[in-house]
Amino acid sequence: MLINLFSRAVLMSTPLLLGSLSEVFSERTGVMVTAIEGIFLMGAWAGFTAAYITGSLAMGLLYAALSGLLVAMLYAYIVVTLKQHQIVTGTAINILILGLCSFLQRVVFGVPLSPLTVEPLQKIAIPLLSKIPFIGPIFFQQNILTYSIYVLVPLGYFILYKTSLGLVIRSTGENPEAVDVSGISVSRVRFVTVSISGIICGIAGAFYSIGYLGKFTTNMIGGRGWIAFAICFLGNWNPIGAFVGTLIFGLAEAFAILMQANASTILPNELFISLPYILTIVLTISRKSFNVPSKLGVAYYEEH
Amino acid sequence: MSTPFFELKNISKYFAKVIANKDVSLSVDRGEVLALLGENGAGKSTCMKILYGLYQADEGEIFKEGERISIRTPRDAMRYKISMIQQHFSLVSAHTVTENIILGNVKGKINWKEAENTIQQLAHRYGFNVDVRKKIQDLSVGEQQKVEILKSLYLDANLLIMDEPTAVLTPQEIDNLMEFVENYSRKGNAVIFITHKLKEVMHVANRIIVMRSGRIHGNVLKEATNEMELSRMMIEHSIEELDKGEDKREAGEVCLSVQGLTVVPRNEVPLLHDVDFDIHKGEIFGIAGVSGNGQQELCMTLCGAMKPTSGSILLNNEDITHLSIRKRITLGIGYVPSDRHRYGMVMDMNLSENMFLKASYSKEWNNNGIINRKKLAETTSRMLHKYDVKAPGPYALARELSGGNQQKVIVGREVEFCGDFIIFDQPTRGLDLGAINNVHSAILKEKKNNKAIMLVSTELSEIFALCDRVAVFYKGKIQGIFRTSELDSQKIGLLMAGYTHQEVV
Amino acid sequence: MMDKKTRDILITNFFAVVLGLILSGIMILFLKKNPFSVFGILFSSMFRDGYTIGEIFVKATPLIFTALAFAFTFKANLFNIGAQGQFYIGSITAVSVSLLIPSALAIPVAIVLSFLAGGLWGGFMGVSKAKFKANEFLISMMSTYVALNLMNYLLRTILMESKGEYPQTESLAKSTWLFKIVPHTRLHFGFILAILAAVTVWLILYRTTFGFRIRAVGQNQEAARMSGVNPEIIYIISFIISGGLAGLAGVTEVNGVQHMLLQGFNPSIGALGIGIAILANGNPIGIIFASILFGALHVGGTIMGQLSGVPSSIINLMEGFVMVFVIISYFVRRKWEMNRDKKLLMEGNV
Repeated sequence: MLINLFSRAVLMSTPLLLGSLSEVFSERTGVMVTAIEGIFLMGAWAGFTAAYITGSLAMGLLYAALSGLLVAMLYAYIVVTLKQHQIVTGTAINILILGLCSFLQRVVFGVPLSPLTVEPLQKIAIPLLSKIPFIGPIFFQQNILTYSIYVLVPLGYFILYKTSLGLVIRSTGENPEAVDVSGISVSRVRFVTVSISGIICGIAGAFYSIGYLGKFTTNMIGGRGWIAFAICFLGNWNPIGAFVGTLIFGLAEAFAILMQANASTILPNELFISLPYILTIVLTISRKSFNVPSKLGVAYYEEH
Repeated sequence: MSTPFFELKNISKYFAKVIANKDVSLSVDRGEVLALLGENGAGKSTCMKILYGLYQADEGEIFKEGERISIRTPRDAMRYKISMIQQHFSLVSAHTVTENIILGNVKGKINWKEAENTIQQLAHRYGFNVDVRKKIQDLSVGEQQKVEILKSLYLDANLLIMDEPTAVLTPQEIDNLMEFVENYSRKGNAVIFITHKLKEVMHVANRIIVMRSGRIHGNVLKEATNEMELSRMMIEHSIEELDKGEDKREAGEVCLSVQGLTVVPRNEVPLLHDVDFDIHKGEIFGIAGVSGNGQQELCMTLCGAMKPTSGSILLNNEDITHLSIRKRITLGIGYVPSDRHRYGMVMDMNLSENMFLKASYSKEWNNNGIINRKKLAETTSRMLHKYDVKAPGPYALARELSGGNQQKVIVGREVEFCGDFIIFDQPTRGLDLGAINNVHSAILKEKKNNKAIMLVSTELSEIFALCDRVAVFYKGKIQGIFRTSELDSQKIGLLMAGYTHQEVV
Repeated sequence: MMDKKTRDILITNFFAVVLGLILSGIMILFLKKNPFSVFGILFSSMFRDGYTIGEIFVKATPLIFTALAFAFTFKANLFNIGAQGQFYIGSITAVSVSLLIPSALAIPVAIVLSFLAGGLWGGFMGVSKAKFKANEFLISMMSTYVALNLMNYLLRTILMESKGEYPQTESLAKSTWLFKIVPHTRLHFGFILAILAAVTVWLILYRTTFGFRIRAVGQNQEAARMSGVNPEIIYIISFIISGGLAGLAGVTEVNGVQHMLLQGFNPSIGALGIGIAILANGNPIGIIFASILFGALHVGGTIMGQLSGVPSSIINLMEGFVMVFVIISYFVRRKWEMNRDKKLLMEGNV
């Protein structure tokens, strides 16, 4: 039971981590990806549709990544190149993507008589490691996306703090002028970072459709993008912080699913469903954030 | 004549609302220190930013050793071994010295140890005492400038452009900087020194180019000129002789009294330390000092935006230490902030609304919460006329005005609405001379109206021209309070650098 | 100068709408339908009879409220993107009041209490922002999901209909319905309430000292603080008013249209409100017209869906495109203005 809970927590934290890690990188350059909810949804739809049509989950992931990239590039174009407001733009794009996915779902599948499904990503047990009692089943009997986060967290940390790229990224969010004067294009740094975030967030979105449930509905993201967004804040813009944050949220979500499945009579289901949202609110209020990139959300005008 | 090291030919640059450079041609040779002299807004920085690739010229060409080159980004400039230190620096304050210096100049994985060692050695070689592991935010302004210079040296630059490098330094730090500049140029490097201070120019430069309203107005060797001539070239209209009025310190009663004022942020060095002074009615009291020595905090504490840790503030014998900003405005404290964009105006509102900013709680212009717009517009129009503000009318947006005219609006507002005590925090910074004269005469007029005035300024000439008495600030402490007639600029310079009164005398 | 700016706004917004239509037209091609005939059906069906025209205003009513809710905090440079949740809270309040007081008295009581309930829910975000410097954007977003779950819980427990079949309330007594203002339509008093709210918001923002302070805080918080305004209090009050406005949409939808509360109730009016506020550049009077435009698109879109086989979700897509283009047009206008200024300079001096 406990193993089941934790194993599911790790599973549920996968897309949140992909999302919040992307946010950490983008926000370190000064750009909040407020279109994240839309990118998740787009990835979920494209991933499902491609997987359904081609019968290949790999193709699903590829298309999810591509669609995430496209949405992120649209967002980056408006907020980085055209320097428009990040929150307003993200909100508009989220509405656009919701409309687009509902419409495309209908274009591609019409009104199906029975629910459309694909076989979701299979769990792969890692030899030996998965046999470790307790730890094994929790961490080493997961799907390929979950394994990817074991690599991405240390990799993200390494890039951010140990490479010149990371130094440029961190400097861009703190003082873009310093980056500009050093001869690096602030817009390019921001544009590229947001675009790559889009690829990863697209895959994160696909996790909800083909990584886990094997179906698609337009309300399946249900604010998960925003939670990933919140985790980036709560994790103090640090990959390790994001990792810890996602585990907590993954646990909350796994706990909620478990409680619903067991139809608790003492406390209402809705309370458990609300748990991640309430948790975000409580943490946002109670936690003092530091490390906020100084120029987060502020457009940079290159002098010309 | 030999081929110049770097040369700009017929450079013009147009911004949205101003001509920044028009037909500017200049050159610099190896081993030369060239001073680019001019008032604020004369186009000196723009022209150098074009050379450094931060701006693109609309017209004109750049040459290096006779060969035409194209500089589209700072990266191109660096390739030609040009380095530029911006006026307000461009350092990431949350990062270390090393991180700042190698930004953009390393590839792939960073070997922190090696980078730190290289830079530390470089610092030693030039006699810069900087800890490369320290964060920029923990360094003094003087040290930050050393980091900027180190960055240029790290890049092996042959042409170093410095934009107003002395503005934030103490006189002693300035001497050190000058020494560095001389040594550096002697090695065959060129330095372009942007400044508006005549004295420095005569001290360090070999050749001087004077700019005015975006054009070149003179190109002279130091030996062939003098300060009088330079100032004539630089200034279109001279500073008006101001009638300072009689010194009424004894006559007027005390308006503002500050006693033992101390501001200490949690576990940190005091920003203000035991500050005592009185300002009398009809007196202009100056606050001199290198910027960042507690002046900003003093203003903030007096107008109520910052809470003192201890001490008290009395206005007309009433204790206002714990009153809110709003109450202090009602009691008649006016404040012309140094950063008008941030604290003084709402740029996207019109001038009427900006006038109303300080009056939104006053009964005079509102009927039970409804704004009396007609009266407001009339008063604003009158004020625009009185203070000679060049603006289309009370409904023009604040952002559409030039800096000088914006400042006139703020000065007008604070003077018209406030009763007894007005703080002017660097009221002429960044203004052209016409506007400076305008602001100065407004200040003197209020003195005649028997108001108590506090004038914070980093320009000693302004202090001497206007103030009756002056307090010199250093690290949040008053070094001494003097009648301006008792001081000269050398004494005040030493006081600003932290020497005590006894040492100076 | 002023004329040129106004002209720019009209031109760019017009093109934003046209481009939105063109892109949606291209999307329609994917369905192998002729976009011209589809748009023909869309626009003609909006005005096919009095009832349908009335429906446009019925649909516009709650959108005016949620758009005002977003715009009001936006003026203070705050982001209340949780109008959807405040609307749910208002709906719960309205339905509870109307079930408890099954008489005409319920209407004024519901209006007052829904405003207060939505306002309290929103005020909580204002307090978090003012007192804890919490990110109001995140909190308002998250609180929507909490409000939704709260509503769902109540609908299957204490508010559930007596038959106990569906997660919905009993139908309201006729006396608690908002009266119709045009016979043979569903257009109800709520629309007038919405217009009044928009005008009041405009008056508050542009004619009162309080509104002036809100705008001052929104555009330059530091300058406002130095002028004696306490931004924290402005935050809290703006959020209360904003939440209250969204709460009022609950009354108009429960007492005016649905006459009961049920699961999945108007799930997208919060998001649409934001879009409308963006389209109207935050101007309360502009919001009335933008809401009517969106209302018309929805009414036309629904009928079009039935008649032409193009799913009505094309309308959401169209709105999304329009919003994106409206945002881009802010950039275009700025560019035009800068180029004009620069050209003047170069012509005058070369």
